Amino acid sequence: MIFDRPTNAELVEVVSEFLEKEIKINLPDHLAFKTQIAINVLNIVKREQQNEEILSKESKEILLNLFKDPNKANIRELAKQIEMGELKLDDKELQEVLIEITKKKISVDNPKYSTYKKLIE
Amino acid sequence: MSNDLQLKIEEFLLKSGKEGKVSELIPLTGGASAETWKFTFSDNKNSEQLILRKGSGKKSPLAVLKSEEAEIQQKVRSSGAPVPEIVAISSDDKDLGDAYLMNLIPGESIARKILRDKKFSEARKKLAFQCGEALAKIHSVDTNDFSQVPKKPIRKELERLNLTYKSFNQPLPVFEYAFKWLNQQDFTTRKDTLVHGDFRLGNLMIDESGLAAVIDWEMVSIGNPMLDIGWMCINSWRFGQSEKVVGGFGDLEEFLEGYNSISNEEINHEEVKIWQVLGTLRWGVICLIQVYAHLNGDINSLEKAAIGRRVSETEIDLVDLLFLGGK
Repeated sequence: MIFDRPTNAELVEVVSEFLEKEIKINLPDHLAFKTQIAINVLNIVKREQQNEEILSKESKEILLNLFKDPNKANIRELAKQIEMGELKLDDKELQEVLIEITKKKISVDNPKYSTYKKLIE
Repeated sequence: MSNDLQLKIEEFLLKSGKEGKVSELIPLTGGASAETWKFTFSDNKNSEQLILRKGSGKKSPLAVLKSEEAEIQQKVRSSGAPVPEIVAISSDDKDLGDAYLMNLIPGESIARKILRDKKFSEARKKLAFQCGEALAKIHSVDTNDFSQVPKKPIRKELERLNLTYKSFNQPLPVFEYAFKWLNQQDFTTRKDTLVHGDFRLGNLMIDESGLAAVIDWEMVSIGNPMLDIGWMCINSWRFGQSEKVVGGFGDLEEFLEGYNSISNEEINHEEVKIWQVLGTLRWGVICLIQVYAHLNGDINSLEKAAIGRRVSETEIDLVDLLFLGGK
């Protein structure tokens, strides 16, 4: 790494806080709403930056465990095998894989989402 | 521009037998395929608030023309469902183009306000029953009158959704699962009816006593009536109030009770679940359509870009419904 601090995560965080504390409060409703969307987007970038490595590694392990073949341990293959009927809908292991991978995605995209909160309680 | 429009509306209303002045013409945010304006119309006796809905004039295969939308609303209104009264319909470019004028129904359409403001606390208690009643009335309208309404049999709709999803080349295993699962369901038990197509908070005008009007008919079709039932019951429209299955404000029992007070169709919870899966998947594909409109460079938009990361909300709802006893 040749770059100095602040790290990219720290830069994203400070912009997000600036929008939240100094910009949003001074805007009319419809622009405050759009600014909130911008803040949400920056927070996704921040969470993905922080967790990408571990989430990708865990997902790879889950898929490897299902397929037993490193060349097949990816999302595209999983989608294809469901579509082609190579994985059956009543396969409990498949269902568990879908649950676990989806939880990882939403934990970055929107960890406050009601269904996710319910499922991790 | 709005001055021009003002004169055009006055001229058009005069042709329709209403002489008077247009004032306070204000644009309202509307759907992507239509402009919506609010204005006051005064003759020498009264003044009233009216709405102008104006389309681009282009016939899209998925949406009806504004003039058709107005005719449908007129017929639905005569079934007793709460729908704004149509004042005049234009289909000529010399008039207002593809457009119509209707009475403004006072009320709130913003979901978060309806779900949280004290003002609507009485309304919220009655709303699920009223929505059920209104839907049953909409579904009872004689569809023989509607040669212009697109027919969307559910198998064809699923195929179309699947092709749309595939066109983005973004593999989503949960969506693949849901498509496969839905293909195994039996959709033959119901006759096709008029379907609103986007029946949810946002497209309902609510006042202190409950449902005042069903608006935004641009997704109307002839298809399976359960589409409207399931759509109203997906978690995407509960805005965080997920324990209230119907729109974040009501229980399924009250909603179906309202429906059955008008209709003789028996609907059980298992069947609703199938349509919740379908509705959630449908919203997920709509999110994909929106984000790819941005990514393909058709429309540069923060909102559309952000919605791409809401696809996983529909995925978690799908796995919850399908595997984890979600409601």
